[in-house]
Amino acid sequence: MRRSLVLTGAVVTALGLLAGCSAGGDSSDSGKTTLKVAALEGGYGRDMYTQVIKQYEASHPDIDVQLQISKSIEDEITPNMKAGKYPDVVVLGQGRKAALTETLIKDKALEDLTPVLKEKVPGENTTVGDKLTKGIVGNLNTNPYGTDKTYLMPMYYAPTGLVYNKGLFEQKGWTVPATWDEMFALGDKAKKQGIPLFTYPTAGYLDSFFFALLADVGGEQFYKDVMTYKKDVWKSADARKALDITTKLLGYAAPATVGYANEQDFTKNQQLILDNKALFMPNGTWIVGEMADAPRAKGFQWGLTPLPAVTAGGKRYLTTSVESAWVPSAAQNKDAAKDFIAYLYSDKAAKIFAKSNAIQPIEGIADTLTGENAEFYKLYEDPSVSALVGGFASTAPVQGVDIKATLFDTANSVISGDTTEAKWQSALNDASEKLREAGD
Amino acid sequence: MTTLSTPPPGSTNRTSKTAPSDGSSRRGARAPARRRGNTGFVLACLLPALVLFAVFMVVPTMNVFRTSFYTWSGFSPEKRFVGLDNFRHLLDDDQFVRAFQNTVALLVVVTVVTMGMGLFLAAIMTRQRLRGRNLYRFVLYIPNVLSVVVIAAIFSAVYDQNNGLLNGTLRLLSLDGLQQVWLGNQKIVLYSVAFAMVWQSLGYYMVLYMAGMASIPEELYEASALDGASHTRQFFAITLPLIWQSLRTTLTFFVMSAVNLSFVLVRAMTGGGPNGSSEVLLSYMYKQAYTNSSYGYGMAIGVVIFAFSFLVSLLVSRATRREPLQF
Repeated sequence: MRRSLVLTGAVVTALGLLAGCSAGGDSSDSGKTTLKVAALEGGYGRDMYTQVIKQYEASHPDIDVQLQISKSIEDEITPNMKAGKYPDVVVLGQGRKAALTETLIKDKALEDLTPVLKEKVPGENTTVGDKLTKGIVGNLNTNPYGTDKTYLMPMYYAPTGLVYNKGLFEQKGWTVPATWDEMFALGDKAKKQGIPLFTYPTAGYLDSFFFALLADVGGEQFYKDVMTYKKDVWKSADARKALDITTKLLGYAAPATVGYANEQDFTKNQQLILDNKALFMPNGTWIVGEMADAPRAKGFQWGLTPLPAVTAGGKRYLTTSVESAWVPSAAQNKDAAKDFIAYLYSDKAAKIFAKSNAIQPIEGIADTLTGENAEFYKLYEDPSVSALVGGFASTAPVQGVDIKATLFDTANSVISGDTTEAKWQSALNDASEKLREAGD
Repeated sequence: MTTLSTPPPGSTNRTSKTAPSDGSSRRGARAPARRRGNTGFVLACLLPALVLFAVFMVVPTMNVFRTSFYTWSGFSPEKRFVGLDNFRHLLDDDQFVRAFQNTVALLVVVTVVTMGMGLFLAAIMTRQRLRGRNLYRFVLYIPNVLSVVVIAAIFSAVYDQNNGLLNGTLRLLSLDGLQQVWLGNQKIVLYSVAFAMVWQSLGYYMVLYMAGMASIPEELYEASALDGASHTRQFFAITLPLIWQSLRTTLTFFVMSAVNLSFVLVRAMTGGGPNGSSEVLLSYMYKQAYTNSSYGYGMAIGVVIFAFSFLVSLLVSRATRREPLQF
């Protein structure tokens, strides 16, 4: 009895070892090129990718596209990448928690995709560059080193701003504030009725808020200075003004905000908007799908507005989140990868993507939208509103310095009173200086 | 109570003497040969485990130490040797200092509370013949079987500021003033995490201590009862000294769980927030290594964690060393 137990144990161990060692071998004997595509399964779902790939394979019989798609795609491809097995195309934006795209940018491990812009879309006569909306390429989001070389192709774009309940505003007869003065006046008015002005899902969502605010306050050049860590930029009057407005706004935050501002509970903060327990939160178009099944107040209707202007009639910006497609420089089939990326901008592919609400920055596509999406994307048509793309410039990694965390997460401490605006400003200045030194 | 450490000497000699003389000589002649054969067999049996240990424990640990001297993003083939720079940065990194403080605070609070309560409950369950103690033991042990992520979800519901169990109960008892934003208040959040850790591990340690207590002979208690010792006296004079060895072992477990368990819990429950106030060493290391692209720096934190837990375990083990008591 005992011996058989021991034997079984030994066999199980041996089998376990063997199983561990026998990683799946490659099976590309058929002469076909295998193109490995990894994509983030975002709010758009996975169907659109399988459909596009089916179309692509039909017109490119010599290419076999292997799709790997997951909600935490970073966790799945990172181990293989460390072992030297890189996917050929990755569709994944910046600003994710795992920061895989950012890491590869910092490492200068991305393939230069500038040639793709000049390439003709497979099966069509226009080049990729001509199809793209003007201004979507050439910013820090696509050209992360501030040069004229494009490393990240913009895949889908979505406006982010302040999300609110349109129905509530209609019921109460309120108008959506156009300046910060009106905003705070509304805050006082709503407070009397027991509705806080502001909340955020987690502090990280403040990126939709802060980037636009910086550009609203100091113009695009100032925004660029902040993003590229210009010396003493956080000590400037404009920076102070942006922090002033933010601190004042955080004073109007719903009391529940900080307690729910974590990965586990952030939907409860989003629910505040649906329940009319807060008026505005920074968020993006994906919120409609994300909270589709959540209960809501009577007459609820999603609304999205750019941040109020600093001075009446001033220019307003919409932080635009752009997901990107890129090719690691260590990928095996770079040419096939570039061709595939070009195909992603074809009319056929764009149609499939748009059906899943994944809107590509292609000229004329916004006119074909319906429902809530049509209204969200219509915001760009307002002549006083501009799209703002990009984020902090990449530098060599600096130990212990994460300026996004300093900029956004500190909001939690400002609301709870654990830190002051002045301390926030000086912490930002420190982080910015350290990053600038690393960039030089 | 007697203090015996080894079995009575000569007991083996006695058996060999009583055995027939030729049998004993044969055994004596064969013994070395069999021992040599045994050594080969034992080595062969140990080899797989040793190889696995070397490949999955020793080599990675050495790698952690080596990488901590480099700046590396985690991907690029280029690593730059920077010597002790990463460690120097640690000293002026406020976030790291806070994470360290939080870890130490968790270590102390969770150890003291879990150990105190574990001992108390174990003593009551074994000595007081409580009715339904099997049920209690079962209920207290359950959290230990749960996945930490489930525990994080449970406690998120318990701590919910509006509809949570905790605030709800306080409201029911008209103690509205005591309501707190358990996971949002920077001064409280660490204790909220600590409580979840205690809840998770209490049953495990209780069962460990109970096992130790169950093996103490009943006569000792009877004798001391005749001498008029109270239950408290019995606990401190008999129970505690006799389970001292299990107590020492659990102290090392506490160090490990404070470092490891707190990471999983913090990551699932608060993400280190609000604004870093519940960050612990491992979660900070994770953030630096995997999201701030400073892999070498993260590994330097790893080295500090290694040295810290090693040192604390060593110190605790030294400080609690006693002559083992037996009965």
